[in-house]
This record gives sequence, structure tokens and C-alpha cells, in this order.
Amino acid sequence: MAALGAWGSAVAPARLSRVARALWAWRARRCLGQDAGAADGGKAAKPSFADEAVQNLLYKMTGLNLQKVFRPVKKELKPPKYKLMTEAQLEEATRKAIEEAKEKLIMPPVLNEREPIDDVLAEDKFLEGTESTKYVFTDLTYSIPHRERFIVVREPNGVLRKATWEERDRMIQIFFPKEGRRVIPPVIFKDEHLVVHHRTYDDIEKHAKYDLLRSTRHFGGMVWYLVNKKKTDGLLIDMIHRDLLDDTTSLITLYHMVHPECQSAKEAKEGKLQGVDLIKVFVKTESQKEGYIQLALQAYEEAMATSTAS
Amino acid sequence: MVQLGSRLLKSYRGGHVVIRFALGGCANRPFFRIVAAHSRRARDGKYLEQLGCLDPLPNAHGERVAGLNLERLRHWLGCGAQLSRPAEKLLGLAGFLPLHPMTVTGAERLRRRRRAQEAAADGSPGPSDAP
Repeated sequence: MAALGAWGSAVAPARLSRVARALWAWRARRCLGQDAGAADGGKAAKPSFADEAVQNLLYKMTGLNLQKVFRPVKKELKPPKYKLMTEAQLEEATRKAIEEAKEKLIMPPVLNEREPIDDVLAEDKFLEGTESTKYVFTDLTYSIPHRERFIVVREPNGVLRKATWEERDRMIQIFFPKEGRRVIPPVIFKDEHLVVHHRTYDDIEKHAKYDLLRSTRHFGGMVWYLVNKKKTDGLLIDMIHRDLLDDTTSLITLYHMVHPECQSAKEAKEGKLQGVDLIKVFVKTESQKEGYIQLALQAYEEAMATSTAS
Repeated sequence: MVQLGSRLLKSYRGGHVVIRFALGGCANRPFFRIVAAHSRRARDGKYLEQLGCLDPLPNAHGERVAGLNLERLRHWLGCGAQLSRPAEKLLGLAGFLPLHPMTVTGAERLRRRRRAQEAAADGSPGPSDAP
């Protein structure tokens, strides 16, 4: 049976994957540069955003609503193209669309804020007074990434220290200029914008508008933020209302992974609970809006009972 | 044409590779390029490779900017290049090489001179301090 498929603007997956890879490279390099020593111990105790298990859970929760993902972007004003295809071709096209949607849903990494660099390499106090201005030395080796570049400052008082982030950015812009001053790290990573992100997530949580982000790439980041701040109740209720039990269990598993010391995590590990029991335990121990969640759970169970009965 | 050719295709007797500063810029505006070149070449003449630069005048943020291609520097030093004294001092300040002894000596001499000047400025009523 032939079917009509209307595809609006299709974004080339190549461009997206490059962007995604660049974003991840930023994150990896920042981790390398900053907390190389502390990372191993920290990651073992507290799972980070990039762990596979965490990513899987977040991806499952994000959902894959094709209609929303390929919602026409405002700038492209081409009329939709209609193609006549057979069943097999339609399946093929759907599969390809799912792949592209997956690329689109790659989450922008959640990073820690940039800590100020304060590292003194040498102190030569007898040089005090010889010079009036400081020297900034930049390593111009082409092949090393900017994060690992040596940029040191020799102060007039003789102290040889590593350059601050602002100095680093300026020097890298001077010696390795990029168009449109792209040396300023992508907007997502600026601290002010992180704060904006947090405020957006808080606002969404207050008004319980989780569905706005559900099939977008920002869902994972939002869930990560809420889990870290322990404000997961609204999200839980929303999921139960929409009958997304799997998502609820993934959310709770994620919560246990991030906060292994909480009581429900211990109980879950002891009892190896699954599904609704896990939710009940979690609700009893951790949540603030117990009443609401119990109500929602009851409603859900009644709905299940009636649907199986009928 | 023949003159141009002879200047570019010079072959020297003896000489060795040095890493030194080549001066460029304009009147009252120096700019140094850190360069690996033959010792017999002109100061600003044809060089083997540029390894960095130094701007001796402070910029808007009050810093003197210098760039050093450390990887290539290491390569040339491995090939047996020598360094000029200002280049050694700069690398000492950068921390790539240990501080040059003349830097330390220069600092001490400056301090001594300043103290002598202060003592002379105080004059006879003030007590003269021993260096």
C-alpha cells in the first residue's frame, strides 16, 4: 500500500554529529585539564553526566517523539515535499528518521563551572624591581589542544605563575584567531548561561511543564539537574500521569546512582525491588509531596485495573 | 637578478645554527621574531624557521606578549642550535630554561646601584647603609 510521507526541512546529520562531537571534546578536555587527579576518585563515588549508564537512563527518559523532533524549524520556509513510497520504503525512511532524531537528541554536556587557575611555578624574589611590566609566554605548538597549552606569566615581582582564564583566552585569540572570535567558548559553557539554565529548569519544575522539553536534547540536562538538587517529585507525578512507568523506574534508578547513601537506595539494593514497589519505597522515604504521588499512583493502578478488566 | 640569486643562495664557510632575535617593526616600534638562523646571516635576513615572537612594548593590559613554539625549539636545540644571550634570558624568564646567571647578576647590580643612589640622595646627615 503506497503511503504519502511529508518531510519538512531535514537537517543534515553530518553537521549535527560534528557539533555534538565538538561539544563532547570540549567536555572531555576540560575534565582532563582541570580535575585530572581528583576525577578518578570522584567518578567512582559519584557518577558523572557522561557515564554510560547515566546516559542510557536519560536517553530512555527523553523519549523519541518524531513529530516533535522534526517540527519545522522557523527559518526554513520551503513547502513540504510529498513523496510516494511503498511500505518497505516507508519503513526505511522511518528508520533513517529515527537515526537522525537520535543525533538531534544528543544532549549538550553538563559541565562544572570553570575553577580559577592559581598555580605558581617558580618564585624568584631577587628579580623584584628589574622589570616594570609582566611577561606573558604562550606555547605556540600547533598540535596541542588549547586546553592543555602552557601560558605562563612572569610578574614584575619575580613570580612565575600560570595565566588566568581571561589571560589564556586573550592569548589564544591573539595567536590562533578564529572567525567571529569563536575562542570564547560556546555559549552553553559560560557561567552566566549556566545560571540561566538552572533558572529555566527551576521555572519548569515550578510550573510542572516537563513536557516542553520531553523529546528535545535538553531533557537529559534538566533531569540531571533536578536529580542533583533532589527536586524530582513534580517530574515523578508528571510521568505517572502520562502512564510512563518505565521512565519512572529509570528516574529512580538514576536517583539511586547519584545519591547512593539515601535510604531508599539501600532498601532497593537489599530488596532488589522492581517497578511499582520501587516507586512506593522511593515515595515513602525521599519525596516531599508524598500525598500527591500516592494519589497519582492509585489513579494509575485503578486505570490499569480497569483496562485489564475491560 | 644575479645579485638577488646570490643573496638568497648564499653558502657560508663555517657558521652554525643560532636561535636569536630578529628585529622588525617600524620607527620607535620594535618587534622581535625569535628565529632559528645561520649565525653568518644578517640579523633580519633569511632564516631557517621562525620559532616565536616577542613584543617588547607593553600592551593595553600592561603585559609584554611573547609566543614560543616550544616543540620546534626543542627540535632545533636537539639539532645542536646555540642560543643568543637575550634569547637565553628570555627563555630563562619563561621557565623553559633555568634562569640565566646574568639575569640574577643584573638584578643584584641594579639593587646595589639603587641603594647607592638612595644613600647618596640622603646625603651626609642620614646614616650610610652598608651594601
